[in-house]
Amino acid sequence: MTEVNGSASPADVHGTSDLVVRMEGVNKWYGDFHALKDIELSVNRGERIVICGPSGSGKSTLIRCINQLETIQRGRVVVDGHDLTAGGKNVDIVRQETGMVFQQFNLFPHMTVLENCTLAPMKVRGISRAEAEKTARKFLERVRIPEQAEKYPAQLSGGQQQRVAIARALCMNPKIMLFDEPTSALDPEMVKEVLDTMIDLAREGMTMLCVTHEMGFARQVADRVIFMDLGEIIETGTPKDFFGNPKNERLKNFLGQIS
Amino acid sequence: MPLIRPFGFNEFWIIVLAAQWTIALSAIAFAGGGIGGLLIALLRVSDTKWPRLIATGFIRVFQGTPLLMQLFLVFFGMNIFGFAINPWLAATVALTLHASAFLGEIWRGCIEAVPSGQREAATALGLRYYNRMRYIILPQASKIAVAPTVGFLVQLIKGTSLAAIIGFTELTRQGQIINNATFSPFLVFSTVAAIYFVLCWPLSVLARRMELRFSRATAR
Ligand SMILES: Nc1ncnc2c1ncn2[C@@H]1O[C@H](COP(=O)(O)OP(=O)(O)O)[C@@H](O)[C@H]1O
Ligand SMILES: [Mg+2]
Repeated sequence: MTEVNGSASPADVHGTSDLVVRMEGVNKWYGDFHALKDIELSVNRGERIVICGPSGSGKSTLIRCINQLETIQRGRVVVDGHDLTAGGKNVDIVRQETGMVFQQFNLFPHMTVLENCTLAPMKVRGISRAEAEKTARKFLERVRIPEQAEKYPAQLSGGQQQRVAIARALCMNPKIMLFDEPTSALDPEMVKEVLDTMIDLAREGMTMLCVTHEMGFARQVADRVIFMDLGEIIETGTPKDFFGNPKNERLKNFLGQIS
Repeated sequence: MPLIRPFGFNEFWIIVLAAQWTIALSAIAFAGGGIGGLLIALLRVSDTKWPRLIATGFIRVFQGTPLLMQLFLVFFGMNIFGFAINPWLAATVALTLHASAFLGEIWRGCIEAVPSGQREAATALGLRYYNRMRYIILPQASKIAVAPTVGFLVQLIKGTSLAAIIGFTELTRQGQIINNATFSPFLVFSTVAAIYFVLCWPLSVLARRMELRFSRATAR
């Protein structure tokens, strides 16, 4: 897809590198509590990363540093060539290029599904309502709920709400999608419809970082699986190595517990 | 004209008419306090420290002192700073500041009652402070705010009676004036109280209804 961008000058580093996320020596504290310890992580364009680990190990904190919902105290986070630690405009740019899906959906309850999907494109990107609605309907179609566009979030099931949340993020045409336990708040029968949507997205080549304990999903789509514990990245590997041949004791324990 | 006249329909009507000044004072203070309160509430939830501190200080001062002292300080303060003594202006300014502080604190609570996930989702979509507030946070906070705001309006209407002490002729002061002429304090002040009640009671009922409706809506 990058060859389309033929007019970009060599100085235009944004969007031309294959490295989309780079975390270098990232440290984060909540007060005295050391939540992220010397995190090193690079994500290439089109890569699918699954992050797992026990509750409280810093998974959410880590992915929230990528769109600066959390600020870090030490280290560097660079997203698509934009150094977040430099602050200012970079943060706005990165947030526009990064979609996020939350455990609790976080749809805007006072807006219809369609309004949820069109607000940011209109207010942030300055797209016309007609165009934003066209895009929104396209993505609602893709997450297979085009008929719910005029409803309010409370009228939808959990699985439908989460698919709206995915569509809402996609409407901003992001380069990276972050998922923070997107199926953990769902009734079991609705997990699949959300995972299927995510699998579709992965097939289309979206760069994805997913915090999830859905190991079937990890096996099926992940290029790399990351295990975190106590604020550290303990082990990284392809799904095959990660599940078939885990090295770290804590990871073995963890895999024993969740399977 | 005799020194003491009886309390008749004329006197009753004069008191009723004075209610318009109570209503006017309440309305101006409420409108001004609405604007001031929104500003205070927004400063209070600001990401930067200084606006937050200033707003907090403002709220604490007005919450920690009697309304009567606030009226006195504005009334006499104006005089010191070279303005002519003007009960109307003093009462309006003092009550507006008072309402700004209280509404600011009420609305801060309502803004903070909007789940943090809403702000996070909006931020993650690239919406900046102004758009986040305008389209996401304030519409949700205002639903929560209706009942306590009407509740405060009732307090404010009753609070305007203190303006009588600095010589502003509203309902209470008109009652005092009529009482000085008729010497029927019980009759006069029953009338005054009844008019306050007629103004405030429907609002209290409304506030309670909205509170009920809201708690039912959130319980779902
Ligand atoms: N806002 C916060 N203030 C203080 N501590 C926090 C905050 N957010 C998270 N933490 C702590 O940081 C640790 C990591 O949290 P989190 O990243 O949410 O873990 P995970 O997503 O892996 O369950 C936890 O111990 C949590 O209690
Ligand atoms: Mg988490």
